[in-house]
Amino acid sequence: MDPYDMEGGAINVRFLNADSTRANFLIQNFDLATANSLRRVMLAEVPTIAIDVVEVLDNTSVLADEFICHRLGLIPLNSTNVDDLLASRDCDCDGYCELCSVVLMLDAKCTGNDIMKVYARDLVVSEGRPNEEIGLPVITDPDGLGSIIVKLRRGQSIKMKCVAKKGIAKEHAKWAPSAAIGFEYDPNNKLRHLDYWFEEDPIKEWPKNEENANIDGIPQEGEPFDYDAVPTRFFFDVETVGGLEPDQIVLQGIKVLQRKLAGIIGDLTGTEETNGVDGYGGGQSPQMNGGQGYGAPEQGYTTPYGNTSTWGGGGGTTPYGATPYGGGGGNPW
Amino acid sequence: MPPRPKKTGPTEIGDGAAKPARKKKEHPAPAAKDDFSNLLEPFYYGKSLTDPINTATDKWNLLPAFLKVKGLVKQHIDSFNHFVDVELKKIVEANRVVHSDADDKFFLRYTDIRVLKPNRIDEDIKDMKYKESNITPNECRLRDLTYAAPIVVDIEYRRGNKMVRRKDIKIGRLPIMLRSNKCVLHGRANRDMGLLNECEIDPGGYFVVRGQEKVILVQEQLSKNRVIVESAKGIMQASVTSSTHERKSKTYVILKKGRLYLRHNILNEEIPIVFILKAMGIQSDHEIILLVAGEDTVYQDQFAPNFEACTRENVYTQQQALDYIGSKIKMTRKPSGYQKRNYQHEAIECLSTIVITHVPVFGMNFRPKALYVAFMARRVLMAMHDPTLVDDRDYVGNKRLELAGQMLSILFEDHFKRFNHEFKVNIDKVLKKPNRASEFDAYDHMHMHGNHLTMGIERALSTGNWNLKRFKMERAGVTHLLSRLSYISAIGMMTRISSQFEKTRKVSGPRALQPSQFGMLCPSDTPEGEACGLVKNLALMTHITTEDEEDPVRKLVFILGAEDIVSASGYEIHGVGAYVVFVNGTPIAVTRTPKKFLTDFRRFRRIGRMSEFVSIYINHHHNGVHIATDEGRICRPLIIVERGRTKVTARYLKALRKGTMNFDDFLTRGLVEYVDVNEENDSNIAVYEKDINEHTTHLEIEPFTILGAVAGLIPYPHHNQSPRNTYQCAMGKQAIGSIAYNQFTRIDTLLYLMVYPQKPLVSTRTIELIKYDKLPAGQNATVAVMSYSGYDIEDALVLNKASVDRGFGRCQVFKKIAVQLKNYANGASDMINASARDPKNPNHLKIGGDGIVEVGMELAKDDVYLLKSTPANTSVSSFSGGANAYGGSGEWRDSHSTYKLPDPSYVDKIMVAENDNQTRIIKIQMRQTRRPELGDKFSSRHGQKGVVGIISPQADMPFSDDGVTPDIIMNPHGFPSRMTVGKMMELLSGKAGVLDGSQQYGTAFGGSKVEDMATILLSKGFSYSGKDYLTSGITGEALPSYVFFGPIYYQKLKHMVQDKLHSRARGPRATLTRQPTEGRSRDGGLRLGEMERDCLIAYGASQLLLERLMVSSDAHEVDVCERCGQMGYQGWCQGCKTGEGVSKITMPYAAKLLLQELASMNVKVKLGLGEEFPSG
Repeated sequence: MDPYDMEGGAINVRFLNADSTRANFLIQNFDLATANSLRRVMLAEVPTIAIDVVEVLDNTSVLADEFICHRLGLIPLNSTNVDDLLASRDCDCDGYCELCSVVLMLDAKCTGNDIMKVYARDLVVSEGRPNEEIGLPVITDPDGLGSIIVKLRRGQSIKMKCVAKKGIAKEHAKWAPSAAIGFEYDPNNKLRHLDYWFEEDPIKEWPKNEENANIDGIPQEGEPFDYDAVPTRFFFDVETVGGLEPDQIVLQGIKVLQRKLAGIIGDLTGTEETNGVDGYGGGQSPQMNGGQGYGAPEQGYTTPYGNTSTWGGGGGTTPYGATPYGGGGGNPW
Repeated sequence: MPPRPKKTGPTEIGDGAAKPARKKKEHPAPAAKDDFSNLLEPFYYGKSLTDPINTATDKWNLLPAFLKVKGLVKQHIDSFNHFVDVELKKIVEANRVVHSDADDKFFLRYTDIRVLKPNRIDEDIKDMKYKESNITPNECRLRDLTYAAPIVVDIEYRRGNKMVRRKDIKIGRLPIMLRSNKCVLHGRANRDMGLLNECEIDPGGYFVVRGQEKVILVQEQLSKNRVIVESAKGIMQASVTSSTHERKSKTYVILKKGRLYLRHNILNEEIPIVFILKAMGIQSDHEIILLVAGEDTVYQDQFAPNFEACTRENVYTQQQALDYIGSKIKMTRKPSGYQKRNYQHEAIECLSTIVITHVPVFGMNFRPKALYVAFMARRVLMAMHDPTLVDDRDYVGNKRLELAGQMLSILFEDHFKRFNHEFKVNIDKVLKKPNRASEFDAYDHMHMHGNHLTMGIERALSTGNWNLKRFKMERAGVTHLLSRLSYISAIGMMTRISSQFEKTRKVSGPRALQPSQFGMLCPSDTPEGEACGLVKNLALMTHITTEDEEDPVRKLVFILGAEDIVSASGYEIHGVGAYVVFVNGTPIAVTRTPKKFLTDFRRFRRIGRMSEFVSIYINHHHNGVHIATDEGRICRPLIIVERGRTKVTARYLKALRKGTMNFDDFLTRGLVEYVDVNEENDSNIAVYEKDINEHTTHLEIEPFTILGAVAGLIPYPHHNQSPRNTYQCAMGKQAIGSIAYNQFTRIDTLLYLMVYPQKPLVSTRTIELIKYDKLPAGQNATVAVMSYSGYDIEDALVLNKASVDRGFGRCQVFKKIAVQLKNYANGASDMINASARDPKNPNHLKIGGDGIVEVGMELAKDDVYLLKSTPANTSVSSFSGGANAYGGSGEWRDSHSTYKLPDPSYVDKIMVAENDNQTRIIKIQMRQTRRPELGDKFSSRHGQKGVVGIISPQADMPFSDDGVTPDIIMNPHGFPSRMTVGKMMELLSGKAGVLDGSQQYGTAFGGSKVEDMATILLSKGFSYSGKDYLTSGITGEALPSYVFFGPIYYQKLKHMVQDKLHSRARGPRATLTRQPTEGRSRDGGLRLGEMERDCLIAYGASQLLLERLMVSSDAHEVDVCERCGQMGYQGWCQGCKTGEGVSKITMPYAAKLLLQELASMNVKVKLGLGEEFPSG
């Protein structure tokens, strides 16, 4: 049975709730694997920008350089129209340039007797960005401070040049557009995918999302169990970290998903030039990746996949030990 | 669940039935809010403690009050203070006068001794009167100094014909215990600690010796001066270890073949007990039998045969007995002058000062000592008659704990005596000379051997070797380096008690958990393995006594109507209903109304007429009332119950809360008292107020205080299998977290810090009391208990990559590199040579203008971090000229320091300073920041450790319908066999706390109730069981079963893969054996051990064996002469003088070495050669 061709007909999306931070919607007449793919892509592969390289010019605070850099990286930056920015590895420049990065300056010095708190609002975004919003630190609190970076005491100062680059959360969670995505189907467990454990009454002991349960239709007592039923209605709850509008996350997610699929189709037909979405997550064959193939390995030990793991590290390392900015083989620090 | 008033927070004990405590919430904090009220605050205002009974609710507030006056390590500090304030003066008093053998008119008398405030070694003590030194303990740590204070004495002595008095003469320096009353931190407010670069939470109680923090561990010993009755190899014996300042000796009364004897090292043989008593002046047989056996015919019959010895040896009178004993005394003095030994005098001397020394004999009054011996004999008889009366060596009441003060006291006494001795020898030397140019002034000689005292104490503290010839004491490992791995490891070390028993002995008695440990020693906190049960830890609310004056207590005994035992006969002493009063084990009085005596005595103690640490208890088996004032007893406070009512009422607790009363007021008002182990076991203690009946004498303050500080971290420990709690006690000390508030100003050899430590979601009262929540070591991880991916078997954990990216388990590792610029004997010294910087050398790039690496640089292997030059000539030689300013010949040799570790690190900070020896020291602190990787070790607080098995992308992780993904996935197989129910309860309480926004507690024998937690969960839309329905992140399908899901506090342990990762293809070899080196630090090989070898042998893989054991190890070619079987050289046999029949063989170098070593011992080994591949 084709899930696209059920009685409701075409796929349709219904927004239950949407505001600037979250989008609560359901997709009907959809298929489970694709719905989950969308969830996964929204979680891990929607590009955003985040601070990736930090040049520490001065740091006399109590926290170590790496400590502050890690904190800086996790500050959500506005990623509107992030497509205007080139991925760093696709750019011709050395290191970084205006085309592939946004530079933020952090320069603070405590001169008073009180302890000074440095917030995300103190990050100054450079000029010459592809658009007005991109790269601005996300500030949502009423005081307009943003997340705290470091506290300074009298005489301590901090000066850092932060380079924000485009990336995806698969590489590092700082590029995640959304920290968590609510995802649910069949809230009434009509499909019996779940075997509820209970002592007396599962209805009392297992509270459920009433809203979704109502939408999905509360099963009638004595309703016969349909063995062939498959999930068709999916409840999504996308909450943004702040860099992208929640609806943008969904749209970008769909786009990324489409391009990944296009990449696969391209690879299969051999006409399309692209290699996955960004040469990163798509299917790879040894020949395509540098043309080395199964031939003689050059240095050290290589895998048949040409020394490139999915995460872009060198051979013989854990996927997490190698980051694009650190060079493979070592620890991230 | 009854309805709750708005926001009550968790309940600790009982349900929310009675609410009198709630009213107190309205009381605003008193105006004067010191840190004490802050300490109490979380328990007063934020939440109210509900309990069926009002006082039972709040009585636990006594615990923070106790810790406020006593502190966590007060036993160390009290002991040290006692030493400095009292014991030191006593020692000097006992060794007050120095005489001279050469001039008997001369004398020098110490009139006083004092310890001043700590200062630097180069600061003059005269200035200290006007201006205190501004030295801080942290300066000593950083500069490798000893945190010590000058010891000064006042003296008066004879100079010529005049008496001279001098004040404040420095005789040495004493290392000062941190936070003792001589320490600069003493009496300073918490807010000042930051100014002194000290941590306000740090408990003190340790020393800083040459920059290292040293703790004198508490030592456990059998109590001194007490009679112990034992049955050793079937022989019943009573023994007593007498210990006074002068002498230590052990005396036995043994029962051999039905006869009683006294045994002592000074005596050649065992002496019949009757002779001893006769020699001590109890001449009549009737009196003897009365004193020992009383009127009891059974004992009389048992004792009667002892008199046979009298007729056999013809000893009837005191004189005859003394003669007999005198003839048995070992000759110790050299037979000078061939004087005939006077047996009687020797026997009197021996009996009065050597046997049972701690019972003094004044003016030939042997009666007390005779009574003591008689009591020992009686104890043996009683034990013979009734074997249950044998004493238990492992009973905690028979133990004494030796603390820093006592250890220092014997050390100081020894050194002070030596000081005086050397001083005297010096004086004698001068005074012997008949004519002196100037008048002799002893003062000039006081400083000649100046720092023996200082150095002696310092050396003992820094090495931990207590070698005192006088007591034949040779103890190693008395002091330990304070472990600063985490705050809890430092605390754990301060409460540790080490036993004197041999670790190798396979006896279970001393290792077993003793029922008398209850409340005194932690039942959980002991190491596993060889030291199991021998190393113990103090419980939370314990105190170790210091010595109290005995005389006032003795007077009080007589005031209370007890009769002096010296004037009592055996009839009275052992008569029916007569109880003997013992003070510190010595019988002094008899009473017929022991119960009344006991209550009267206690009343006096409770009104503060004597020290609160004097204990009294009745032993009905021996008909004795025992009073103890000695040092080293463990005791703990209990609430006094009289007539079935607790003395601590709501009124007093209110006063405690207001701050108008403190713990000491509770003591002086007789509401609370200290009870030592012996007294505790003579009391009827109710755990809860509801349990009080008419026989109850005391009430526990809080039951969870039976656990120590380390075990107190475990939530719901009373639901765990007990070994799990023990495992956690060992692991909590390895957790990475915060060390102290001054952690960034310290430069330790190795320091682990967590980047984002969190306080536990499920806390305990102990955690708040010891302020673990201020210096935590762990993070609250969201855990899903499910199986995932197969990378989680055998306790492995699955980590969420996104969590790791966001900082979960991230830690910093600091390592110290210390360089000393040595001063040489010829005046030359090392120097930093910035001019040696070579801009072309890539390894020099990170060096700054001063010749030291710059802060913030990343050091990789082979980078130079310090440009140092050493003088070429460092020998003392008169010909070197020495014109050079540095003394040497002016030639320099480069000895740059290079970074050798395989993993790079950043330079965190650099310190340049000078130590006590005017040596320049450079300390460089290196920093690494590590994120968790595969194989790093994590543990929950329930002894459940595991390594990271895989780090999985967030998208692949299972998630709840809200999209919540776990940080850690734990395999459910970890639960059934471990039975850590406490961990499940922690998850439940943690989850409820998170959803509710409230702090939940897992305090032992209390804590948030599961039922309440379930209610919260249900009200927040979760299953009450803590289980959630999850969706697979990989397929998007719902997981068919529910998953136990919620926060658990996880600790990152110090064992990290990065420090252990090691492999080697080829590398260095040991010089002697030419085998590969051992260990990662030496880039060593990986050993194919015996068991692996056995496997290969069994399999028959001979070529592989050969390769592993020889070819890849220490293969060596030698020439062997076939004729003589000896090793030759270059195809020539030196023995046979021929090159014929010399063949090359390959053998392990170790084998060749063995042959040569045997040859050097005149053992000839002949090698017989055969064909490798025989043709026939």
